[in-house]
Amino acid sequence: MSEPVIDVSGLTRRFGDKTALDSVSMSMPRGAVYGLVGANGAGKTTLIKHILGLLRAESGSVRVFGLDPVTDPVTVLSRIGYLSEENDLPPWMRIDELIRYTRAFYPAWDDPYAEELRQAFGLDSDAKIKSLSKGQKARAGLLTALAHQPELLVLDEPSSGLDPIVRRDILGAVIRTIADEGRTVLFSSHLLEEVEQVADHVTMIDHGKIVLSAPLDAIRESHRVDGRVPSLDEIFVARVGKSAKSPGV
Amino acid sequence: MSPAAAVAWEFRQRHRWGFIALIVYLAVLATIKLVVVTRGLQINFDSPESFAFVVVMPITATFTYFLAVFTFGLDGDLAARQSMYPPRMFTRPMTTAALAGLPMLYGTAAMMILWLAMRLFALWPTGIAVPSVWPAFLLASLLAWTQALTWMPYPLAGLRIVVAVLWLGTMDTIGLLALHFSAHESLMIAILAPQVPLAYIVARFAVERARRGDVPDWSGAFARLAWTGRVSSRRRAHFPSPARAQAWLEWRQYGRSLPGWVGILLPFELILLWAGGDSTALVFTILFVVLLTPPFMASFAAAGVSKSSLNSGDSYGVTPFTATRPLTDADLVAAKLKMAIWSTIAAWLLVLIAIPLGLELSGTSAVLLNRLGRLSEVVGTPRTVVVVLLILAGCIASTWKQLVQGLYIGLTGRASLIKGSVFLIMGFFFLFGPFAEWIIDSHRLGELWSALPLIFAILVGFKMIAAAWIIVRLYQSHLVSDRTLVTVAACWSLAVFALYAVLVWLLGTPHIPHYLMMLVAILAIPLARLSAAPLALAWNRHR
Repeated sequence: MSEPVIDVSGLTRRFGDKTALDSVSMSMPRGAVYGLVGANGAGKTTLIKHILGLLRAESGSVRVFGLDPVTDPVTVLSRIGYLSEENDLPPWMRIDELIRYTRAFYPAWDDPYAEELRQAFGLDSDAKIKSLSKGQKARAGLLTALAHQPELLVLDEPSSGLDPIVRRDILGAVIRTIADEGRTVLFSSHLLEEVEQVADHVTMIDHGKIVLSAPLDAIRESHRVDGRVPSLDEIFVARVGKSAKSPGV
Repeated sequence: MSPAAAVAWEFRQRHRWGFIALIVYLAVLATIKLVVVTRGLQINFDSPESFAFVVVMPITATFTYFLAVFTFGLDGDLAARQSMYPPRMFTRPMTTAALAGLPMLYGTAAMMILWLAMRLFALWPTGIAVPSVWPAFLLASLLAWTQALTWMPYPLAGLRIVVAVLWLGTMDTIGLLALHFSAHESLMIAILAPQVPLAYIVARFAVERARRGDVPDWSGAFARLAWTGRVSSRRRAHFPSPARAQAWLEWRQYGRSLPGWVGILLPFELILLWAGGDSTALVFTILFVVLLTPPFMASFAAAGVSKSSLNSGDSYGVTPFTATRPLTDADLVAAKLKMAIWSTIAAWLLVLIAIPLGLELSGTSAVLLNRLGRLSEVVGTPRTVVVVLLILAGCIASTWKQLVQGLYIGLTGRASLIKGSVFLIMGFFFLFGPFAEWIIDSHRLGELWSALPLIFAILVGFKMIAAAWIIVRLYQSHLVSDRTLVTVAACWSLAVFALYAVLVWLLGTPHIPHYLMMLVAILAIPLARLSAAPLALAWNRHR
């Protein structure tokens, strides 16, 4: 069996008195599409930040491609494509400058693919980031996350606050990424129906703890009631929803 | 709570610690003055420095603080085209007149109260006629116009700075001239009183435009220039390395501000050469100011350079865009250091072109050449050339050092550390003047000179202990390769010995022991603080 792309073991993280992650363990095999779901403040972004090396493991360990992302950021990050919820692209940059700048970091940057994405997303090369709409900014971020054909694509709440057309682009990117053999996607989202469309493994996180982690089909089967297969939304509410009807909504 | 009270509450709540500090300071002043007055004593300062320390500096600091508070200048980007008025306030159910008028009302009232309190409680020297009312109007006018000019949307980036410097500089000059010529209160009030309503009209217009998102754009007038820029940027090949790409980003983000500031100030400084005529002292004073401009402005530009966040209004932490670059922490710091070099070179190119031009056009070059010729006769041509080159090199190195020496604090991303360091530096400068004065007044210069080697030796000891600790941490954390550590140590040693050799050759006198020059060389070449920058960034980037 090949080495997991992400291997988190006994990860605990506290911010003051609050425990953001509590003994989280997960192992993500190559080629999988992992859906990470949970309510606001459940610990999804904290977990993703550990995977990217933006947070140091207080206890437990995080390995990405078998490496520690904190001590070996160059090797790890050059193989990851990342789209963050907080779109923080430099507002003064033009699209062509953003592409020129970003490609310098990735030896595997695919120029024809980048151009194809730019045209598909309707991004004007001369447009400045600050003049783009929220959806266009997300597309620009997606372009830079995808064009180097990353082995691991990490999407942290990518659809948050975006219209259905941009969400379709993001889902398309996920589908296209997984069409290439051996590439892996970690997809955190509030919109469970989206996760349901593309994920083959779902991890539910609540108050820093993993409450459920299994292949999507197995989750559905195990929650079957009177022959009816519930939606992921219903399963989430059943597992986590003490108060919320739907996560993050 | 009414809207007016809500706006006032927001100012009070957000800046309560600053206001409390100011009230405490005024209370202390009032108590001292009460004691002085009740005992029938006269207030005399034995030097201008004492007066400046007790009265002028606190007034200036408070005035600057009020400017920042009431213009919302602590939130916005001064160089941007967009208004600095906080957009969050535009959605409040308030009229534009109230949005512009209330902060102006509170600000001008605060300024006038500040002046009246200072006029009443400050320890004004006996025998000096201090104007009673018109400075209050001047301070209020300055604030009102600053508000109007900062809230106005501009058609070009950076234009706000130019307009504000020119307009506020003019008003400041009027105030200084009035003081110099002891202008009548009534005349000054007649000039200054209409300024606040005028500024209000401009501010209201500015907020109205900003509220409807109307930001004029003259970039079309520069379309050809922009087109040329785009063509040249497209012609550029891809970045040869990630490090070059990161250095480019840093340059575009922060590198141009220092040459920009220097470029704005230079014409105003050099134009004074026309007033200099044959006055050697004045010409040299102007040149001295010009040479100090880049390092002085670099201390302001450094606030941006040492930020780890790309977004000016953002917190101090590293944004995901930067943090997820596949670069080591040392590479990210190296990009900042390289950008600082380019920024320094660009600023000094401007200075080195402008000085000969200014001297030649104003006809004052003969004054400089004459003095250099005399120096050459006394110490010889080689020493003269070395002295001039050393002064230039010192100023250039100082500019770069100013830009990067705060990295080890700024890159930590810890607001408490960053703000604390600013207070420490300000405290140092506030104490330095009186300390220097005490040394001179108590005739302890000789003792200080004798103790200098010991003081320098202690400082060198601290520096080397700090550097050793930092290098051990860098080695243990593998943030920097062993080869880089050895290279840095070798370059630093080489620079120290080179500076030592120049000092020995230049100041070869029995009065200055060689070991003292070695201590000076060790202290002058940066090591510990620069080496700590990757540690600071790692602490911030991988929290």
